[in-house]
Amino acid sequence: MGNKQTIFTDEQLDAYQDCTFFTRKEILRLHGRYHELAPHLVPMDYTHDPDVKLPSALIVNMPELKENPFRSRIVESFSEDGEGNLSFNDFVDMFSVLSEMAPRELKAIYAFKIYDFNTDNFICKEDLEKTLNKLTREELTPEEVNLVCEKAIEEADLDGDSKLSFADFENMISRAPDFLSTFHIRI
Amino acid sequence: MRGPYRGLQDEGPYRGQQDEGPYRRQQDHFPVRDRDPNLPLRNLPLSMQEKRKTRDRRQQQRLSIGCWESWWQSQRIARRRLREQVVRTMCGLQPWRKALHTIEGKFGVGVKAYFTFLRFLLYLNLIHCLVISGLALTPVLLYGKHNFTPGKTPASDLFLLTGFMDRSPVFYGFYSPVPLKVSCLRCCLSSPLLFLLAIASLLTLSIIMVVRRTVIGYKHTWMLGRRYNHHFSYKVFCGWDFCTQVPESAVLQHSLIRNDIKLVLEEERFHQHVSQRTFRQWVQLYFLRGVLNFLVIVLLSASFYLIYFANLFSQRKKPKLSLLVEYLPPITITMVNFLLPHLFRRISGFEDYSLTVQVNITLVRSIILKLACLAIFLYSLLHQPRIRSAQCWENQFGKEMYKLVVFDFLVCCLNAVLVEWPRKLLVERYPSSSFLRALGKPTFLVPFNVLDLVYSQTVTWVGLFYCPMLAHISLLKLLFVFYIKKFVLFRCCEPAQKMFRGSQSSVWFHFTLLLGLLLTVVVLGINANTYPPSSDCGPFADNRTLFNITENCVRILPDFAQKALRFFISEAFALLLIFVEIVFLTSFVSQGRANRRAIEGLKDILVMCSADKRFLVKKHSACLRTLKTSLSEGNGEDARRMEAVDPSEIQPPFTRSTSAPCGDVAFQQGGVAFLTGAKPL
Repeated sequence: MGNKQTIFTDEQLDAYQDCTFFTRKEILRLHGRYHELAPHLVPMDYTHDPDVKLPSALIVNMPELKENPFRSRIVESFSEDGEGNLSFNDFVDMFSVLSEMAPRELKAIYAFKIYDFNTDNFICKEDLEKTLNKLTREELTPEEVNLVCEKAIEEADLDGDSKLSFADFENMISRAPDFLSTFHIRI
Repeated sequence: MRGPYRGLQDEGPYRGQQDEGPYRRQQDHFPVRDRDPNLPLRNLPLSMQEKRKTRDRRQQQRLSIGCWESWWQSQRIARRRLREQVVRTMCGLQPWRKALHTIEGKFGVGVKAYFTFLRFLLYLNLIHCLVISGLALTPVLLYGKHNFTPGKTPASDLFLLTGFMDRSPVFYGFYSPVPLKVSCLRCCLSSPLLFLLAIASLLTLSIIMVVRRTVIGYKHTWMLGRRYNHHFSYKVFCGWDFCTQVPESAVLQHSLIRNDIKLVLEEERFHQHVSQRTFRQWVQLYFLRGVLNFLVIVLLSASFYLIYFANLFSQRKKPKLSLLVEYLPPITITMVNFLLPHLFRRISGFEDYSLTVQVNITLVRSIILKLACLAIFLYSLLHQPRIRSAQCWENQFGKEMYKLVVFDFLVCCLNAVLVEWPRKLLVERYPSSSFLRALGKPTFLVPFNVLDLVYSQTVTWVGLFYCPMLAHISLLKLLFVFYIKKFVLFRCCEPAQKMFRGSQSSVWFHFTLLLGLLLTVVVLGINANTYPPSSDCGPFADNRTLFNITENCVRILPDFAQKALRFFISEAFALLLIFVEIVFLTSFVSQGRANRRAIEGLKDILVMCSADKRFLVKKHSACLRTLKTSLSEGNGEDARRMEAVDPSEIQPPFTRSTSAPCGDVAFQQGGVAFLTGAKPL
């Protein structure tokens, strides 16, 4: 890098580089993106770790997330308070997990969280119905939705409690051939 | 490798028992592996603050473990970073990444798979070019005496392959044996040997690369998918491509997913319909299928005969002829390959199969058509008197292969310009015409395009020995084909509404490529064994054969090496090899069977454990409830409450004194297995 940047200290950049899948340049670029979401809220100087959180409404309108049917759930899963307000740390974390380099196990954990709409640590039939309706924009008939959800649970449920625990989900997703290629966002 | 789950509390709704509290990150609910100090920080499912704390903690640990250990760890981290950087730059260097990404967004994964396959063939041909240029072309160019001067030649030479093209490095005749002015191993290393080495190594390399890709794809998609049968869950959880940013492709994705799901539901309904067929219907159906299969066989044989006849016709006339008759065999083959697959598609519609089976059957028939046509053509070519009696029959053979490749490329260009583009223009210009509306805009049919690629690559492989620069020509051709197909895709085609995932998986592409490669090996083997090389052209002139060359080379090796080599090609070794392979196969198969049995057993245990857990949770919560109520109402009513309740579940094997609250005993007993006392449930 030619000019010395003053947004982060070197130590902070090192920490970010270790804790995420991004390089220093990408982290500075991410900061730029975060800043332009709300230029008056987000300071340019992050050396003292300011406690700034952007509301979920700003984040879900980013071009990378705008067309995603699960955008509000994604943002909620990475926020500390569960409401979708992301600090810069959470922002970087989100895109790091969703980047190409994150391993399958890590993505499976967050995918489970995203699809668990009622946050009870199980993907039950209602969660699946909501997922399916968001996926197909409610263009399937209720019987079809019911059938698909039942079959999906039947296929993946290993312990017979008619909902998917994390173990069932991870077992199923570890065999999915295109999970890694679909579950990533390029920023 | 996976950490143990943390007991009962982490597994789901412990209603009323656990403080749900503010929504927390997943630290407690998922097996956290921060205990493993070797797991990179970025792989931990923690929030950023927690990762930083872990990082500080690890750094503290590092400071306290001594300088050697800390140096070793920092070296490991640096090496890991370097490796990641290298992988990243290598991935970034791959050509057309952005184009493929756009294609995937706009047209789906299947079309992208076609272009990825094309890129793979490009790499393959590039390797072929490099090896042939290095091993076969350079020695002859540097040390050989040749009279290759383009000069003034008519353009028809390029297509009729006479004149300067005959003597050019494109064909076999150029590679006459030259004495290499290299001092070491001069007896052994002759240019014919290098030529042979080039071709043999290319074929081996191709086999290894294609087999490797097929096996990897097979492991990932087919075997696991079929055995575990996870259609719906994959569609729901892995259906949406999170990279989608453009609203049009989002709309397309929604409709694709919807159609996909409807397709699978339709298949289910079809299976139900099949199971309800009466005997009479089965008989009728089989009769119909028999007739249609017979029709298919008739069509195939007719096309084979047509090709044979076209070949005979073009050979029988005198060589100095018009372009059309010279190119008659390639024209016939291409027309047959163009028309018949569409016919097969229509025929399979009548056979009353489910949609995916229809697509698969059409594909199998088309593969048989393409490869068998090529085989028939090669067979008829090798038995032509003109070829046999020619001065340099390898050159003639190479010329036919060259013609096939060139014509295939011409057809690709003409198809794009004269068929697809006008069709799109017509459909747009006259939207009211019912015929045009029924015809519709062209869609990109992935399976047929892939078959075209496989066919041309097979021709390249077959012709490589007789026309060594066919690899270079094929490389250029693939480059142009990429851009032409991209043009057709973006300007003419509309996205397909129905996707058949199975037929678009890359496993199938590589498997057909493998079939083509096997055809090549068979043809070359037969050629090498039955037909002696021409005596005055090519690397094996002066009455050498392939075997003579290698014999000379082997003879200068030391004695024990010769004996070892002779052993390796003897029958005893082959038998030994087969025996060892059988032993390995049997052990793997029996291991696989035992593993499958173990999996079934473990699945049953899992279901049982989960049922037990639920039962115990219910008992526990009921017990605690009664404990609370009994504590609040005072001890005196305990006994009355206890007797009034009707024990509907398991009777406790031992009783206890009625004065003690129920929960107490259970916890004192230590195990949660037998809850004493009668409880309402």
